[in-house]
Amino acid sequence: MNILSSIWKAVSRGFHRLGSPREFYTISNYLTPVFGALFLVLSLIGSYYALFVAPADYQQGDSYRILFVHVPSAWLSLFIYVVMASAAAIGLVWRMKMAFVVAICSAPIGAAFTSLALATGSLWGAPIWGTWWEWDARLTSELILLFLYFGVMALYYAFEERRTAERAMAVLAVVGVVIVPIIHFSVEWWSSLHQGATVFREGGPAMPPSMLTPLIYMALGFTFFYGYILFLRARNMVLSNERKSKWVRALLQPQTLQPQGLPSKILQAESGKEGTQ
Amino acid sequence: MNNTFILFCQREWQLLFRNTSNLVQPLCFFVIIALLFPFSLPLENELLQRIGGGIIWVSAVLAILMSLESMFRADFNDGALEQWLIHPRSLPLAMLAKVFAHWCATGLILALFSPILCLAFRIPAEQIWVLFLGLIIGTPSLSLIGAIGAALTVTLHRGGVLLAIIILPLYIPILIFGAGMITQSYSGAAIYSQLYALLAILALAITLAPFAIAGALRTTIE
Amino acid sequence: MVLLNSPYCKIILNEPLRLANWWANIPSISFSIVALYITALNLLSDISSTSIAPILSAHELRCVRGERCLFDGVGFSLSAGQCLHLLGSNGSGKTSLLRIIAGINRPQSGDVQWRASSIFDDPANRLKYFSAVAYLGHKDGLKDELTATENLSFYRRLENASNQTLIDQDLARMGILEHAEISANKLSFGQRRRLAFARLLHADFRLWILDEPFTGVDIQGRTLIEQICNQHLASGGIIILTNHQSLATSLFAQHIKQLRL
Repeated sequence: MNILSSIWKAVSRGFHRLGSPREFYTISNYLTPVFGALFLVLSLIGSYYALFVAPADYQQGDSYRILFVHVPSAWLSLFIYVVMASAAAIGLVWRMKMAFVVAICSAPIGAAFTSLALATGSLWGAPIWGTWWEWDARLTSELILLFLYFGVMALYYAFEERRTAERAMAVLAVVGVVIVPIIHFSVEWWSSLHQGATVFREGGPAMPPSMLTPLIYMALGFTFFYGYILFLRARNMVLSNERKSKWVRALLQPQTLQPQGLPSKILQAESGKEGTQ
Repeated sequence: MNNTFILFCQREWQLLFRNTSNLVQPLCFFVIIALLFPFSLPLENELLQRIGGGIIWVSAVLAILMSLESMFRADFNDGALEQWLIHPRSLPLAMLAKVFAHWCATGLILALFSPILCLAFRIPAEQIWVLFLGLIIGTPSLSLIGAIGAALTVTLHRGGVLLAIIILPLYIPILIFGAGMITQSYSGAAIYSQLYALLAILALAITLAPFAIAGALRTTIE
Repeated sequence: MVLLNSPYCKIILNEPLRLANWWANIPSISFSIVALYITALNLLSDISSTSIAPILSAHELRCVRGERCLFDGVGFSLSAGQCLHLLGSNGSGKTSLLRIIAGINRPQSGDVQWRASSIFDDPANRLKYFSAVAYLGHKDGLKDELTATENLSFYRRLENASNQTLIDQDLARMGILEHAEISANKLSFGQRRRLAFARLLHADFRLWILDEPFTGVDIQGRTLIEQICNQHLASGGIIILTNHQSLATSLFAQHIKQLRL
């Protein structure tokens, strides 16, 4: 029990530490390059496996390989929506500024992954179905998800006051996440009415391991890509939101030095003035 | 009577029915939108029958969307909304009453008028009843979910288009089940699954939406 | 029995005090002393709670609008019968401060306390606070389509105090009884302010938050409002108001504390 409670204490302390923008900035100094490196490594391995090692499909030949981009982006679009809604809920309940930053920074990334899933789905469909668009259940769900992302972003940027914008966006994200399963269920039911001749198997757990391995690699790589881009965006947003606070000014001040350097007394006087304002 | 629900209902009805254009405008919009489709699509009678149900549903959705914009705007502009925020009475219950009263003036009237519109689309009698049932059950959910969006955008000047962008994806399940009911009954199958789905969405909306509306109002009025 | 045996009763009943078993009187004596002490404490605390201890207090309030900090470190405390006059130039955040005190907005940091308990963090206290506070802001909260009587009666019914004769009485006091059945959008600005003010009469709001109550009201109306505010302060209420002109000549000038933003 003691070990459990100490682990729990460490986790919740870490959680609350991440909630402070300044702590987040310091931690992300180390984490961002790590995520970027992981993304590169995993994606390269996954791409190699996907393009060269995995066998060609007996039905679709080599054109099925776009699955290794399509499926991970679809997974990630849903994953990012859940992350966004969870961060929004955390921000509303615990009033954490960082949670709102994570939510609003994830939204464009999620929208990008959704568009990627839709585009690759269309590209995949063109040789297979013969058309650029098919009212398939999953593609239609992805399209609705794209509009949900757009709605969240549009609501955030419509408000002038940042606090109101964050909280309104958070309410919408939470409401959306409640309705997303209903949307998915209703669209699946609806598309079963439109049983076309083109019900293709996207593959599931019945995939052979030679196809599953690159899929997992690509999915992990994309997830770390999401983390990398999220941290970059979140760091920018934190700097922009907290630009009046002392630690941000101290951070940005060295860049305002002239190459020759001003006499140290003037610098001290300036920083003293800014510090007391 | 001093019950919160009845008090707010009576007040909303007083406000809405004092000015009869509030009742007539959504209805006119509904009818005009529905009648635009025969003009724009090359429809034979058979096709008109088959897609008429869907067209009427889409028109109902758009008419309700139009009327949502003004749901909270008048109260926000004259400061009544702020008074409710700092009142000890339950805000979710008051919002449920407000949406109910609003539905009586929009969705209920649309649903009651829909059989007449069905005649224009030559929809057979069997489907008229299905359409009416679907609208009666579906339009309260539309009003409730739409009220969340209206509460989120009430403080914005040009909230109308933003409201549509936010709310229409959330309307899609109701539209699918409602219009699907008519298609299903046209091909002779039973409609119980869609009916139960619509009722389930209505139950979820009635229980959760008032709290979401109250939360959204507190968030944006700040 | 203890009471009857106590020395106080005997003195009252004119019985001789028997000191044979004098230590038998100790329990009754101590009981009476304790009872008197508790009564005295109650009396004292009643006096203090109604006139000395602050009922409403604000601590270190900070308000940020957009990227600007409107005010920081604002605090005050008010007890019964006191009036706070907020002063400040246009845009200095007076309305924002009033809205924070009313509970509509939340401050960036700081707290407002009602009877020594926070109104933001304590939900039970928040409800009690909302029953005790009345906020009249720039917007008057009146519906255009309803008549004056209907508007007032809605607010009365919200407070469970609906009484038609009282409503007529209050409208008459505010000088708008002859316009009672006219819809509110046909009333003039000053008449609407008077109607909004009529909400406060005959209602048991302890704290009145008034945002520029004298704006747009004529001289008789101003005198009337001052009289009503004076009555409210005399009966132990609290008022917070903003006004551009000085209130030194008003009827309740001696109860006013000033706060400059």
